[in-house]
Amino acid sequence: MKFFRTIILIGIFGFIWINTPFPFQIPKNFPPPVYSFQKNPLTKRGFELGRKLFYDGRLSKDGNFPCSSCHQQFAAFATYEHRLSHGFNNQFSFRNAPGLFNLAWERELNWDGGVNHIEVQPLAPLLDPHEMAEDLNQIIGKLKKDKLYPILFNQVFGSPEINSQRVLKALTQFTASLISANAKYDQVKNGTARYNQYEQKGYEIFQMKCARCHTEPLFTDFSYRNTGLSLDTTINDYGRMRITGKKEDSLKFRVPSLRNIFLTNPYGHDGRFSTISEVLEHYNNGIIPGPTLDSSLRNGIPISDNDRFYLISFLGTLTDSGFIKNPLYSDPETGIQNYAPVDRH
Amino acid sequence: MQLNKKYRNPFGEIYEISRFRLYIGNIRPAYTDKETKLKKSSSYQLVDFSDSTTTYMELPATTGTCNGVEFELGVDSADQNHGAQSGQLDPSKGMFWTWNSGYQSFRIEGYSPFSNQPAHIIAYHIGGYRYPFSTVWKIKMNTTNDEVFKITNDYKIIVEVPVELDYFFDGPTPLHIKDISSCTTPGEMSRKISENFIGSFTGLVLTSAP
Repeated sequence: MKFFRTIILIGIFGFIWINTPFPFQIPKNFPPPVYSFQKNPLTKRGFELGRKLFYDGRLSKDGNFPCSSCHQQFAAFATYEHRLSHGFNNQFSFRNAPGLFNLAWERELNWDGGVNHIEVQPLAPLLDPHEMAEDLNQIIGKLKKDKLYPILFNQVFGSPEINSQRVLKALTQFTASLISANAKYDQVKNGTARYNQYEQKGYEIFQMKCARCHTEPLFTDFSYRNTGLSLDTTINDYGRMRITGKKEDSLKFRVPSLRNIFLTNPYGHDGRFSTISEVLEHYNNGIIPGPTLDSSLRNGIPISDNDRFYLISFLGTLTDSGFIKNPLYSDPETGIQNYAPVDRH
Repeated sequence: MQLNKKYRNPFGEIYEISRFRLYIGNIRPAYTDKETKLKKSSSYQLVDFSDSTTTYMELPATTGTCNGVEFELGVDSADQNHGAQSGQLDPSKGMFWTWNSGYQSFRIEGYSPFSNQPAHIIAYHIGGYRYPFSTVWKIKMNTTNDEVFKITNDYKIIVEVPVELDYFFDGPTPLHIKDISSCTTPGEMSRKISENFIGSFTGLVLTSAP
């Protein structure tokens, strides 16, 4: 009797838990998001299905490359300490994996803005022969054969059918929910923390020298700019021009967010800079001139050794340690993984 | 045009097509005695010449006379960035570019001894919806010999999609296989090749069914 009562109780609590409203909370200091789940209503079950898919290796051809292999929670969902990420058959991706957070604010995704909607973003790594290298129909076939997935899809979408649209919408419930907005910077903004004197000085320098492109509070203005990086002729990546076909877009790349920058090294679209210091030195004294160079960088950005010290102090306040330890975002099978040390260089 | 059959284009180049797919959007009858009112419907059909169930379509029609159909080749820019789609626009149908989001307007794949590509492949994966390199076209296709087709009741019109590739190769931009054996990205070239395709729809046959 007792056994059955326990089972019923677990059932009731489980039901309540699973149907808990799962609101998308827009941080107070953020603008309205681009993606607001209007045609993909966010639910606890949908989020959990997306999370399970994100961590499931079966989405890749050989089973070894779940989304989470290149997007690791302890690195704010970038690939820790890898210029380029590993993919199928001992290959490398051709760009540095960006951190995944605050994606609901991105109208276009990827370093070149080639992806026009967050829901279709997963198709790029899923089908890229250097990355997950799988075929959509194969993925759907594998999910259909699983014992659990048809039940989960039924719970989320009202029928057990599994198709690419449902897989992508579920994945988006997870990825668009990854919000990072509780770094020390945010706490200072809402009055619950204070910068120390170095961070304060760094913030002032940041506002003067960096904030034009790395606009607060998302720390990017989502534009594409040529920041004077030389062309790596082993990759021949011309950035935005690949998408628009316009020569005036040659060598332009998306301005990346600086949030969680201590966790997302190496830096740059091809990960050529291993430390923040190297990036700052590039702006100080490494800009390569060219016809599409951003007009604000013609003379570089003078950054003294002192500036660099203060700037790095400030950039440390953009680390959201609650985000990387949030159990909601972790691998549902294993929970929070042992995370790599925070890297300060 | 039949798949896997050898043809010679107007420049004397031999080719055969192994797979051929295209998107037809918002197809409706073209009446000679009244305006076709187009509701914004966003309906698409992926025509795949290796699947005969996709090469014809039924259109609702009202009383009147018509001499052809109007449709869009490709997927309208307004329907290109709505996220994950199902049905005819399901990306698993293989017509969606993942690295530069967008549906291709058409995909012609095959072989030619004149190809400059490995294995003599020819591949025209033509798409792109952004100005100025859009590959989406409004097309009016007339019946053969401009035959007028009277509809007396509310019949359905059945349309078979005909394609004649001679016009495709010898269009506004002459397409010599030896020079352009492949185009698989959006941009100026894709736009030009798509324009060649407009004239390829000829020999329309309409039949009606209650």
